[in-house]
Amino acid sequence: MGAIMQTKPLHVNPLKLSQPMGATLAFLGVDGCMPLMHGAQGCASFTKVFFTRHFQDPIAIQTTAVTDITAVLDGGAKGIAEAVENITKKVNPALIGLFTTGLTETKGDDIKGAASGLSLPVVYVNTPDYEGALESGWALSVSAMITQLTTPTAQIQKGKVALLPHVGMSALELERLKECIASFGLSVVALPDISLSLDGHLGEKQTALSSGGTTVEEIKELGTCEAVITVGASMEGCAKALRAKNPAITPLHVSHLGGLVATDSFIAMLMSLSGNAPTPTLKRWRARLQDALLDTHEMVGGKNVALIGEPDEIVGYGALLQEAGAKLACVIGATSSTNLESLGGVVGDFEDLEHRMEGIDVVIGNFHAKAIAKRFGVPLVVRGFPSWGTVGGALNHSVLYEGGAQSLFRVANVCEKDH
Amino acid sequence: MQLADKSIDQTCAHVASKKPACSRPTPGATTGGCAFEGAQIALFPYADAAHLVHGPLTCLGASWETRETKTSVEGRDFTQMGFTTGMELNDVIFGGEPRLAKAIAYIVEAYAPEAVFVYTTCVSALVGDDVNATCKEAALTHGIPVVPVHAPGFVGSKNLGSRLGAMDVLKNLIGTKEPQFSTPYDINLIGEYNVTGDMWQYTALLEELGIRVLSTLSGDGRVAKIRTAHRAKLNVIVCAKSLNAVCERMEKEYGIPYISVSFYGKRDTSDALLQIAHALGDEALMERTKALVAREEALVEAKLLPFKTKLTGKKAVLNTGGNKSWSIASALQDLGVEVVGTSVRKATEEDKEKARKYLGENGVLMENPGAEQANLIKERGAHLLLAGGRSLYTAIKQRVAFVDVNQEKKVSYGAYNGLVNLAHDVIKAIENPVFDVVGRRAPWEQ
Ligand code: SF4
Repeated sequence: MGAIMQTKPLHVNPLKLSQPMGATLAFLGVDGCMPLMHGAQGCASFTKVFFTRHFQDPIAIQTTAVTDITAVLDGGAKGIAEAVENITKKVNPALIGLFTTGLTETKGDDIKGAASGLSLPVVYVNTPDYEGALESGWALSVSAMITQLTTPTAQIQKGKVALLPHVGMSALELERLKECIASFGLSVVALPDISLSLDGHLGEKQTALSSGGTTVEEIKELGTCEAVITVGASMEGCAKALRAKNPAITPLHVSHLGGLVATDSFIAMLMSLSGNAPTPTLKRWRARLQDALLDTHEMVGGKNVALIGEPDEIVGYGALLQEAGAKLACVIGATSSTNLESLGGVVGDFEDLEHRMEGIDVVIGNFHAKAIAKRFGVPLVVRGFPSWGTVGGALNHSVLYEGGAQSLFRVANVCEKDH
Repeated sequence: MQLADKSIDQTCAHVASKKPACSRPTPGATTGGCAFEGAQIALFPYADAAHLVHGPLTCLGASWETRETKTSVEGRDFTQMGFTTGMELNDVIFGGEPRLAKAIAYIVEAYAPEAVFVYTTCVSALVGDDVNATCKEAALTHGIPVVPVHAPGFVGSKNLGSRLGAMDVLKNLIGTKEPQFSTPYDINLIGEYNVTGDMWQYTALLEELGIRVLSTLSGDGRVAKIRTAHRAKLNVIVCAKSLNAVCERMEKEYGIPYISVSFYGKRDTSDALLQIAHALGDEALMERTKALVAREEALVEAKLLPFKTKLTGKKAVLNTGGNKSWSIASALQDLGVEVVGTSVRKATEEDKEKARKYLGENGVLMENPGAEQANLIKERGAHLLLAGGRSLYTAIKQRVAFVDVNQEKKVSYGAYNGLVNLAHDVIKAIENPVFDVVGRRAPWEQ
């Protein structure tokens, strides 16, 4: 069944987040990067506050601060050049991530032309907020980084893997995923890599630039990978950008890493890629997940779950809970996606959730689901953007064997506690 | 194109300091919000009106449910909801008016609000949607006020947006209804948004004095009441310079004088009450107010006593923006804390003067707090840093206590009782060992 598109003329209590916000996050996963949003200043300000409260970490972002004078008169190049000049007065970024908003797209600004006039390394990408959503803004930026930075090559470095994760993975999930791949004797470069920049550590360098993440050098050399692993439906296209640099790269795709079945096939994939066997630790975690599924199946099994969020983020969670016998009674995604279709979900907002709460036992969604869960007296597991007022989001872990086990316990305990 | 009303004076308090007009932000060196955000802040507290943002997803998707503007409205509290047309490519190409009209109809049918505010944003303004016409037609069809608010982000700063939003209310709502009765003590509170219930810390006192809050713009506001605002005897601006122009306009149109006050800290609260009584020009009221102020000050002093014994002699550095640079300083001093420095970055000349007045000769007014605050803490032996989240590391490195005063706060620091809340938070920070523990060096760094 296909995902049903929203037919309302508006969003009531919106779930969807914009493309420029996705682009911001993608650039924050590059070391020493300054995301530069090309638009009027409010979008960047809202985005900064939004992510600062979510990650509880300083967020680096700047804006070209388009005003009504420049908005109507020029093509944007002047404002962009001025912004870059002002940024470099204070800091020395390794990369400027330049992306558009609805305003500058409606004007038709030529950011490619503007970027080519700059002396610093710049990656530009078109991300109007009247199209796409968080996932696509992130994916478009990853593609742009590869297309504009990665050096074409015919060389392959055996055992080197490029990992392209979707926007919904937490810092810890990405770290664990990298470790898992590395445990097969493979070397792995993730793009972007927020496991190093947005992981909740106390950064000495304050907010000026992203600190930690994929280096520009690593992005340049990404073409020498033996394989590229994309995680999430939104990321499938990014592998194409990389293979355009080196067609010899093997594309490997997983739509998610939630639950025993999906993790099993991922591990099988790594085994055949590397020719190596899993580590004893990994095997032990598989046994623990089996155990967790059995331990929680009575609490989670038969429960009617409402799941709301970004498609790539919720699909793995949904699969995991289904393995323990939960029923996905209501699935709402922020944007259309084959992953959302596979869950039988609809594209919608929190008003749609409210209308479908009848008989729901537990809600899994972002901060905005709180009010609804409270009104209906149903327990809530907070996940996704934003998770204001909930701490530790960067260290949430629900993928692979270990995350699956931890996550099941969390849901089971929440269900038990409140009911 | 439906842009902001250019006839409105675009200057703000900054201009008096002979700086260029503040509506031109610097590309690559700004963190402030946009005019739309300012309009949103000024008008969202009307909890019985639906607030519909006409634009793509960024403007509202990232900003709904961020502010705790408390309301006493029973039933649906629209301040905790987000409505947006969520314009898509088709609307950009063919115009967003049909979607807007449908969205208004949907809201009226599903939620029956007292009014609908329609906010233009960058994209809807640039594509030239005739929001005025759409609103006018919708008002006729649905029989409720549908107010167009023209403050698209690109016209300028938050301050400007607050003013533009308030002007649109003035134009469309104020004077459209008569109050059931009038009293000589009717006032409007302008620029008080009741964040965390700040307003409620003092409205009971006003009531006790016989002063009636006829309407507010817009804390715990009601659409029906703001329509009667033209019958007030006095406009009271609370801590929000950006709405001066609105009060000037009301003075011209309706002959309502205005004063500007602050309800932060003991001294300012007392001062505010006395100023209001004075402006209403009634001897008996003045006497009552003096008595009430004396009583309240004694009450709060008694409540603060246990805190003050702990806080007297403590030194604090304050790094926050705008009027907070002096209002919180004044509140801290009321607690017995010595404020050795405060940030005046982005402050108006007037704010700077006030900060100087409160801090005295020896207080440092930091123009570049990011660079100055660490040294100041060291030099003066401060015990406490009150600032926004990004200064946390400075506090930890200096191993002094930290209070985040910029995060969306959860409790009110307003008026007399709010001072007790502030005292609680400051003591909690000073007594918490966490800042010292986190500041320790790791074993491998020794
Ligand atoms: S700058 Fe324009 S597009 Fe951005 S948030 Fe403000 S009104 Fe919306």
